[in-house]
Amino acid sequence: MSHAIETRGLAYRAGRDFAIRDLALHVPEGSIYGFLGPNGSGKTTTIRLLLGMLRPRSGSISVLGRVVPRDLPAILAQTGYVPERPHLYPHLTVREALQLHAAFYAGFDHGYAAELQAAFALPATRKLSDLSKGEMGKLLVLLALGQRPRLLVLDEPTDGLDPVVRRDVLAALVDFCSQGAAGAAGAATVFISSHLVHELERICDWVGVLDEGRLVAELPMQDFKNGIKRLRLIRAPESVAGAPFVVLNREPSGGEQTWVVRGWEPRMAEWLDAAHAELREVADLDLEDGFVELLRASRAPLA
Amino acid sequence: MFRRILQSQWKALRLPVILLAVLAFALPLLTVTYGGRLEGAPAGRVAQWLYGAQQIGLLLPGFAVLVGVLTGIGAWTSDHAGKHVYALSLPLSRARYVWLRFAAGAALLLAPTAALGVGSLAAAASVTLPSGVHAYPLQLTARFFLAVLVCYAVFFAISISTRRAALVVLGVIGGLLLADGVLTVMDLRATVTPTVLMWLTNWPGPLSILIGRWALFDV
Repeated sequence: MSHAIETRGLAYRAGRDFAIRDLALHVPEGSIYGFLGPNGSGKTTTIRLLLGMLRPRSGSISVLGRVVPRDLPAILAQTGYVPERPHLYPHLTVREALQLHAAFYAGFDHGYAAELQAAFALPATRKLSDLSKGEMGKLLVLLALGQRPRLLVLDEPTDGLDPVVRRDVLAALVDFCSQGAAGAAGAATVFISSHLVHELERICDWVGVLDEGRLVAELPMQDFKNGIKRLRLIRAPESVAGAPFVVLNREPSGGEQTWVVRGWEPRMAEWLDAAHAELREVADLDLEDGFVELLRASRAPLA
Repeated sequence: MFRRILQSQWKALRLPVILLAVLAFALPLLTVTYGGRLEGAPAGRVAQWLYGAQQIGLLLPGFAVLVGVLTGIGAWTSDHAGKHVYALSLPLSRARYVWLRFAAGAALLLAPTAALGVGSLAAAASVTLPSGVHAYPLQLTARFFLAVLVCYAVFFAISISTRRAALVVLGVIGGLLLADGVLTVMDLRATVTPTVLMWLTNWPGPLSILIGRWALFDV
């Protein structure tokens, strides 16, 4: 599997309290990769490292098969970026911002941008300083999509937007992904960071979970959805050594124990049988619960 | 690409640039008004007129610094507002982006420079000079352009520099003043700061363009 983004041993430090540690990301080409993490976990910093805005202390970064920072202009020519906070020049109008942005990208699709502008109902003559938060969010997505990029990097693109705008933006993203990037052999890759788990659940096919600068998990969304279960056990074994799944959490409740496990498959019940435990129930966790359990396990791993 | 950056920079700075251009046009005309009429004037009156005209000329270096400061700092205002994220996400090298910004800002300097040129030519055409006195509108305009370009470049660089670079500059200035203080306390007859200032403002020092005679009319 080829990767649109790959990092190895990536490390970065900002001040005394915050660090990205030994980050190894593998974003498959053509995937919609959800980069999940609580506020302050390092998502924006990671994105800035990927796009060469920050220099790592150590480690390597490869984006679209090229090396960061050596090949940055070539990488950025094929990358659409929507930052966490608006970064455009507030004195320009929507039309002027589009013209300025398009001037830097040889393949900018003016027709597609005009379609999106109409769909988003963005007034061409309005100054950016007069745009609402929702309109600004739409404009940022419009500019990034208009590039017809091979890679789209979105940093909390819907954070703070109302549900209607959020739906518009996500619909435009899904539409873009289904069309594919112009001039690219395959579909575009989308790397989208968010702390809104349910939002990513709908559109992503891969997920990476970051917490306190560490990658806690990276797996296909299907495995994330189906692989994290809550087990209700009687006579649960004391030791989980040799278990074919990962125990994220275990809590006693009455005479039973509740385990949250990752990587569960039905055949693994045999391991519990062999340990003389009785499996009373296997329940699905929704994505948000699974996310919370992953974070809890990463912060306080079981002995 | 350059055209769009220039357009963006013009839109951000057009009000101060237009205001500066109006001032640049007015200053040479003020020279004539200040000096009064010369037809049939005695030599003493001509000397007085020249002196008055040159007093106005003294304002021009300060005006050139003002133009350089406003356009130099203004060149980065939009990028500062977005913490340079937009510029850093564009597909071109940082050096090229800086040159584009610099060139766009330098192009804006043409407006006050042209206004000063037109104002100087109009002022020169409005008086009949006695023999031995000449007008130097083009020379003054060229000098003004070089001066604003130098000031613009200095403040453009200061404006884009990091906090660390700003601290280094402040540290150097502080070091010079400290050295002077130490030399004074030790009663050594040497100074550092005036020497550095002399080096900066005397040819071939980078700020020497601001020093000397800035007269539209001279012998």
